[in-house]
Amino acid sequence: MELAQLLDRTGLTVLDHLELQVAIPVIDGLQAQGDLIIIPRALVPVVTEDSWARWSPVPRAGVELVRGANGANPHTLTADPGTCEWTIHVHEPLRLAIALIRNTAPVHLVHPEHGGTGIAPGEWVVRRQQERGTARFRSTSTLVCD
Amino acid sequence: MRPDLLSRRARRRSRAGGYRVSELVSQVEEVRREWLEYAFATEPADRSTAEAVISEFYAIIGRPPPAFEWVGSPAAVRADIGSAAGDRVAVEFATRTARVRDRLERDLRPWGLPGEPGERTACPATARSFVDNMVHGELRRVVREGVVAVVAAEAGRSAVRWYGQHDADWVGWHDACARLLGTRRSPRDEHFLTLWTTLARSCGWWWPREGVCVVAERPESVHTEDWRPHSADGPALRYPDGWSVHAWRGTRVPAWVIEDPTAERISAEANIEVRRCAIENIGWEAYLDDAGTTAVGRAPDPGNPGCELLLYDLPRWDRPSRLLLAVNGSVERDGTRRRYGLRVPPWLDDPVEAAAWSYGLTGPQYAQLLRRT
Repeated sequence: MELAQLLDRTGLTVLDHLELQVAIPVIDGLQAQGDLIIIPRALVPVVTEDSWARWSPVPRAGVELVRGANGANPHTLTADPGTCEWTIHVHEPLRLAIALIRNTAPVHLVHPEHGGTGIAPGEWVVRRQQERGTARFRSTSTLVCD
Repeated sequence: MRPDLLSRRARRRSRAGGYRVSELVSQVEEVRREWLEYAFATEPADRSTAEAVISEFYAIIGRPPPAFEWVGSPAAVRADIGSAAGDRVAVEFATRTARVRDRLERDLRPWGLPGEPGERTACPATARSFVDNMVHGELRRVVREGVVAVVAAEAGRSAVRWYGQHDADWVGWHDACARLLGTRRSPRDEHFLTLWTTLARSCGWWWPREGVCVVAERPESVHTEDWRPHSADGPALRYPDGWSVHAWRGTRVPAWVIEDPTAERISAEANIEVRRCAIENIGWEAYLDDAGTTAVGRAPDPGNPGCELLLYDLPRWDRPSRLLLAVNGSVERDGTRRRYGLRVPPWLDDPVEAAAWSYGLTGPQYAQLLRRT
């Protein structure tokens, strides 16, 4: 699918300097979009879903996985109806994982600055990116917001 | 905020309360925009209106109209005015205002009893919380915690002062409640609030004192980014008397951060926020170049063909850290790819390990990255 088609179908937009007539590859493996990374679930067994996890269908109009620091620039996950479910009820000690995805057909991740990317059928963990914190005596890290 | 962002439950409840949220949203946004315009107004003060309103405030606490002293900026106020903590007029007026605000806020509660005894407000909790968040919350964040915070930090401390156009958060909130939710209050409080509303449209900060009231002009220019004080070339706020405030994305910074940021100044700066702003201004790459730092490691960026990951030692500021310099996966409007810096723990020697750490992965795992956009 081309980016232009994807935007047509979902009603999402990207910045106008991005190439629209370019085929979006569907990736079956580890991939990153800005400050998010999509990880095959088998690669990170440390990430578990909560026992009360509720999975919701992902509509064509998409669900926002995360928004940028200024409230703009969301990473939006979009899928054909009935092909993809997601949940935010996810647990891991690092606290980087924000969602789990399971899909039976390719789904797409769209971002205004980064464009679109395809995710092959499978089970995936969505993680955010961390940065070393600056507080002197605490060993905390902060999340990256681009 | 889009109406469809409200939960289904909130929509159902708000319908039950007689308010159509979609209508309320556009009305709320309109009122908020109006108040943001007052808060960011840059016209010269409407002196006669401001003086008339303030004289009426003095009359309310039983004082004759004061002498007015106009200043060009909040920093130009005389030291004896700024430090007059025990001034009778300042204290009495602050007490009166606090009492009225207290009553106004009590009247706002959905279970409150404004107007006739026994008559309940027709304002369901959902519509209320909506106006609270979108008007009070937003105006407080943008005006009080944004603009007032940077101006006050630059102008220094002062005994009781009021903010004129920058009192928009609470004045605008009560205005919105009256206009959108039909909140009613006693005629006396209504009058008091009208005076505040008028004042917010006419002048900048003011200092009521016994016999004299100092009033400041509004700024003559305000620059923002996403409603936060920000300017990458010159002051974010400039007042008619030439006094100005520099700010970077909502953080007040010394003038050099905007006008002449250099690696030397950044390395010498003790305040981490100021340092962060200055580095954001010149960019990590320029900073590292300028500081003459050499990379401790470099490696091809997995999933980002033709790009390199670079690892640097940072000066020992607060916590020992290294910096990973990476290249964005997508192009900017000008066709280039932006480089961005990420702080990583100092024990990471391999740039791929460092990039992997930022996503909670191991180096070999991150090396499998197929694509970066």
